[in-house]
Amino acid sequence: MKEVPLKIEHDGKWIVIKAGIGEDRISFPAPVDKEILFKSVFDLVEKKNILIISVKGTPETVIRIASIEKVILILKRLILASCNAYRLMAYFMSPAIRGGVLAKNAQWEKGSIVVVKTGIWFVSAAKQISVPLSDVAAIELTKRDVQGKQTDVVRIDHVESGEVVSSLILCPLSTLQVLTNFLKDATKGMDMEGNELDAVTQQVAMLVYSGMDSHAIENMLNLPHKQLDEIYDRIIKLGIAEVVTIRREVQLTTKGVRYISDATKTQKN
Amino acid sequence: MGTILIVDDTLFMRTLLKNILFSGGHTIAGEAANGEEAVTKYKELKPDLVTMDVVMPKVNGIEALKSIKQLDPAARVIMCTAVGQEQMVKLAIKTGAKGYIVKPFQAPKVLEEVKNVLAS
Repeated sequence: MKEVPLKIEHDGKWIVIKAGIGEDRISFPAPVDKEILFKSVFDLVEKKNILIISVKGTPETVIRIASIEKVILILKRLILASCNAYRLMAYFMSPAIRGGVLAKNAQWEKGSIVVVKTGIWFVSAAKQISVPLSDVAAIELTKRDVQGKQTDVVRIDHVESGEVVSSLILCPLSTLQVLTNFLKDATKGMDMEGNELDAVTQQVAMLVYSGMDSHAIENMLNLPHKQLDEIYDRIIKLGIAEVVTIRREVQLTTKGVRYISDATKTQKN
Repeated sequence: MGTILIVDDTLFMRTLLKNILFSGGHTIAGEAANGEEAVTKYKELKPDLVTMDVVMPKVNGIEALKSIKQLDPAARVIMCTAVGQEQMVKLAIKTGAKGYIVKPFQAPKVLEEVKNVLAS
């Protein structure tokens, strides 16, 4: 076993320990005193260089680890190779499109797709990309030109740091269908369930997607402030938007008017 | 920063692109609603860059791109199309497009692509 320094959350505090990493397990010395077999891991999430590892057992254990990138990379590779997950060999391209712009130098990578409890991972020799199911915006079985031939692929749109990223998966059609159905089922909560938007609301949603603020949307669609507010209420209620900033409109008090009048006089003089 | 001709058959998309490009400090040289108009406006305005929708009435974006490239082989054109039509990418790039954006798009990424193409 190789000893590596890392931080682990223990009794609500982050402590530094030297963990032993083997091919099939990781062991934490006292005061954590635990050994985890990678095959007993059923969920793995990466959030800002913190690995959240869920382990089977009674009760289930959740371990949070932080370390330098190299250690996290090794751990991810070992866990994803052995953990309890749906695994399929595939080619993937991630990201293929970012924010509507084709990713430069995007290419197909040989590797695997690992589906854990709350997310999917794109794994190759060089990359381990985590996509939490809660960030999956769209899944589609579609066709792409691969080496001059129209080929079935799955396109997954996911939100990554506020940007919409499209990734592509390429493997046999039957597997793609299984994967599509699984992902659609796992992210069913995101469906609109027949709540279609009217044309103006759709345009507002599209402009929000593109990064326009309320002022720009009002001007572009020639909407009164009140109508835009009502549309916002509707899309917030449907769960397709959330409030990030509340701006205020103010008018000057008499004191403010006096200040501005005085300031103007001073400038004139 | 550059002068940009926006070509799209929908007023909504033209207005959106206009706002995005304007917010990035670019000047909107003009707008066109189809490929034929795009070629005429290109001759007239000589913009630094063109954003060109692919699917348009009369003359489509690929045909317009060909005509513009014949007029000016150094023309910088970014093609713009909907999700699912990315198979047009190869054809557009082969025809001389410098970049490609897919609708729906996000403002910062569009500005980044425009900056890259203008610098090329």
